[in-house]
Amino acid sequence: MAKNRGGVINPIFTCQPCGAQFLSIGVKDCIGIVHGGQGCVMFVRLLISQHLKESFEIASSSVHEEGAVFGALRRVEEAVDVLLMRYPKVKVVPIISTCCTEVIGDDIDGVVKKLNEGLLQEKYKGREVHLIPIHTPSFVGSMVTGYDCALLDFVSYFARKEEKPNGKINLITGWVNPGDVTALKHLLAEMKVDANVLFEIEAFDSPLLPDKSAVSHGNTTVEDLRSTGSAIGTIALNRYEGGKATKYLETEFNVPAIIGPTPIGIRNTDTFLKNLSKMTGKPIPESLVRERGIAIDTLTDLTHMFFADKRVAIYGNPDLVIGLAQFCLDLEMKPVLLLLGDDNAAYPNDPRIKELKDNVDFDMEIVMNADLWELEDRVKNKGLKLDFIMGHSKGRFMAMDCGVPMVRVGFPTYDRAGMFRHPVVGYAGATWLAEEIANTIFTDMEYKKNKEWVLNVW
Amino acid sequence: MPYHEFECSKCIPERKLHAVVKGPGEDLTSALPLGYLNTIPGSISERGCAYCGAKHVIGTPMKDVIHMSHGPVGCTYDTWQTKRYISDNDNFQLKYTYATDMKEKHVVFGAEKLLKQNIIEAFKAFPKIKRMTIYQTCASALIGDDINAIAEEVMEEMPEVDIFVCNSPGFGGPSQSGGHHKINIAWIDQKVGKVEPKITSKYVINYVGEYNIQGDEEVMLDYFNRMGIQVLSSFTGNGSYDDLRGMHRAHLNVLECARSAEYICNELRKRYGIPRLDIDGFGFGPLSASLRKVAMFFGIEDRANAIIEEEIKRWKPELDWYKERLKGKKVCLWPGGSKLWHWAHVIHDEMGVDVVSVYTKFGHQGDMEKGIARCEEGALAIDDPNELEGLEAMENLKPDIIFTGKRPGEVAKKIRVPYLNAHAYHNGPWKGFEGWVRFARDIYNAINSPIYQLSGLDISKDEIPTDVGFKTRRMISDVNLSEEARKVPGCGYTGPYDIVPEIQKRNKAYREQQLKLAGESTPAETPVPAEAAA
Repeated sequence: MAKNRGGVINPIFTCQPCGAQFLSIGVKDCIGIVHGGQGCVMFVRLLISQHLKESFEIASSSVHEEGAVFGALRRVEEAVDVLLMRYPKVKVVPIISTCCTEVIGDDIDGVVKKLNEGLLQEKYKGREVHLIPIHTPSFVGSMVTGYDCALLDFVSYFARKEEKPNGKINLITGWVNPGDVTALKHLLAEMKVDANVLFEIEAFDSPLLPDKSAVSHGNTTVEDLRSTGSAIGTIALNRYEGGKATKYLETEFNVPAIIGPTPIGIRNTDTFLKNLSKMTGKPIPESLVRERGIAIDTLTDLTHMFFADKRVAIYGNPDLVIGLAQFCLDLEMKPVLLLLGDDNAAYPNDPRIKELKDNVDFDMEIVMNADLWELEDRVKNKGLKLDFIMGHSKGRFMAMDCGVPMVRVGFPTYDRAGMFRHPVVGYAGATWLAEEIANTIFTDMEYKKNKEWVLNVW
Repeated sequence: MPYHEFECSKCIPERKLHAVVKGPGEDLTSALPLGYLNTIPGSISERGCAYCGAKHVIGTPMKDVIHMSHGPVGCTYDTWQTKRYISDNDNFQLKYTYATDMKEKHVVFGAEKLLKQNIIEAFKAFPKIKRMTIYQTCASALIGDDINAIAEEVMEEMPEVDIFVCNSPGFGGPSQSGGHHKINIAWIDQKVGKVEPKITSKYVINYVGEYNIQGDEEVMLDYFNRMGIQVLSSFTGNGSYDDLRGMHRAHLNVLECARSAEYICNELRKRYGIPRLDIDGFGFGPLSASLRKVAMFFGIEDRANAIIEEEIKRWKPELDWYKERLKGKKVCLWPGGSKLWHWAHVIHDEMGVDVVSVYTKFGHQGDMEKGIARCEEGALAIDDPNELEGLEAMENLKPDIIFTGKRPGEVAKKIRVPYLNAHAYHNGPWKGFEGWVRFARDIYNAINSPIYQLSGLDISKDEIPTDVGFKTRRMISDVNLSEEARKVPGCGYTGPYDIVPEIQKRNKAYREQQLKLAGESTPAETPVPAEAAA
């Protein structure tokens, strides 16, 4: 079902340009220019910076009043020039549109053409510069669709088919954390699979070095993006964050595609590894059998004693929410409420959602185009009972006021330390998630004196 | 030449007029950077937009209001939960935010119907809240929705509610400052004079340009209460919508942040003849002078003096303990607006630190004039700094600490410059006498952090002492202290983690008591002493 109000009280997502911006920081030597008001950049930088506890660069075309009235393409031209002059290493400049500049109808494709034929030829001849127009009007979709669209734009701009396949797979991670990238790279290494990880944001968990040299930046290069067309296959972990580009590579360059599942939990990680094996012919090694065993050992200590029938509400990015719900079911819990925070028309036909609806043996509500009021209202005014909530930091007051403990997952998680470092994917992610859930429930039991003595012997 | 040209900005020569060095004996008028001009696109400035200046800075601190943005969801989401302006209304204003969630079809066909539906739904979801502010965004401004008309329509249909409309789209002006202006004027035009407040004292003020960051407003309110002054309204930190509709009945407007809220004071003077008095709640000296000035206006200096004497006696030794240990530390004072001039001299005078640079993101030339006049010789003043200029300045000036925002703070961290959050504070409140000691404590802790010291060691090259198990902050800070200074007893700040709940309780009780008294008789002739209120 979809929420039956017109507006949003306490949104789950921000708008499309944020998704494009988050994607852009995963690319090396790339600084995006957001074509719109300055707030569209300043606040998104703050948001991502709060989440990662790092800084990075994104520029604005700084559209002011006269631009909004008379058109502001001149400011894009100026922004590109100023950026290229002052950042000599920059090669990739996505031009990201916003509601403001889409409404006034600024033609960013046209201005890119003009710059390519003019400024770049005259002033920057010989320098490798890629200007990529990305249309992300804020009144369409959400940050999730913005990420998906921008990913398609990057891939379709760069991808080429070489004569010989490059022997790599494309692994499109979707909207994840540095810790997830580390976990995925570990699985790939164990499988001895050579992969092109898009987008490589692992280095955003960056050090503070005595020589002051550390800078946080993405590590997906122009060459990586170019070679996506020559890969032996693409695996997109998330349907809604990379699905479009994966299909593009399949239709345009015959790169075989597998979309999903999001490798959250044991079962989905198993499927992911099987898919990897199928695509590359590489066997799943003994080391991963053992690693899987350690995770299962951990889960076994927790499931029937503590997790069975625990009622959970989950909100956030759609693939994350669905993956977590599937894992919760394997852990014997009851995901009673799932909130998907935008109006994506594909959700009702998502086979995973159908599978959930057909097979769970308790009342499960899936609310689409949801906001956090849908959750709070149910708990406060409609008698919904929950043992815990899984979601991002914007629900913190809601969870506190409902008296329900919350496990922080997804984006953003600025109100807890180091969440970006921990994976939710792979066997490592399954272990971390289960332990985080358990410890959150334990702390709540002690705080509320709810069978807290159970933990005396365990 | 006073102008400073950054290496990184040589290719954008217009930037040269935006930075100056205050040279010895320099005439201020020749050393004033340009300010509040259009941002250079692509320069990676730190500026925000006029929507955030209106909604995020000034609108949202109002505590009993549904804050609704008419536009796509992002403006709302992005400006939600990124501030530390608390309130005594269970932080309602921090917890809830509302967006009309404008979609493509609304852009094409108009979103006025959607807006009306939203307003009604929001009041229905929160039946106890009867006040609302609607903020225009870029999208709703460009499609030309008549928000005022819809608000009027709803107010006619629902007489118990009142709605304020703020038309300040993001593109209006070079920075958030344009939004400050717009919401100031919109408030006085639409709302002031619409409620007759209950007067409970002979001395009545509005406390303006104060946003209750970490409880600043409560701290100041406590002083005013102790002087028997009625604070009719706070614009807007911890402010109540209906209190603010009665601003016209104050005898005096006491203005804290002249950057963001001088407009409404000037209008109140023009329209209602209420004088404006600029004050400063930061620092023992400026705060004392401010309390005296306000008291002098009403002829009650003795009350101000009593408070000042008591507070300074209590807190001066702790401040001095820090001053001794912060002497000569170099500071980049890089806040947003008014702290530029509020802190420029007083952190030097009272904490002993040297301000080597000041900057402003959205300030005007007048703000820089005040800041540069007050900071020390040799300081570098920058208007609308960008990412590379900030880095270059830190590399050249080698500050011991910077006071700036969260994200620029992350930039500083990587080049081993500790930072304090100048907008939201580390462990505030920083206003008031005790607050000022808390600020000094935060500076001291940041500079003398043992972990910060370790961050400079390269274990592959440097000599590492292997017989040291730990260091305390004091072992670091007292190394170069004179024998005499070391002997002075004390250990810095002795107050609790959170000082606000106690003050909040006192302030609430005082207000209730005053209203009760006023209900029973004529306005109180003699103010109730603070002890009685407590």
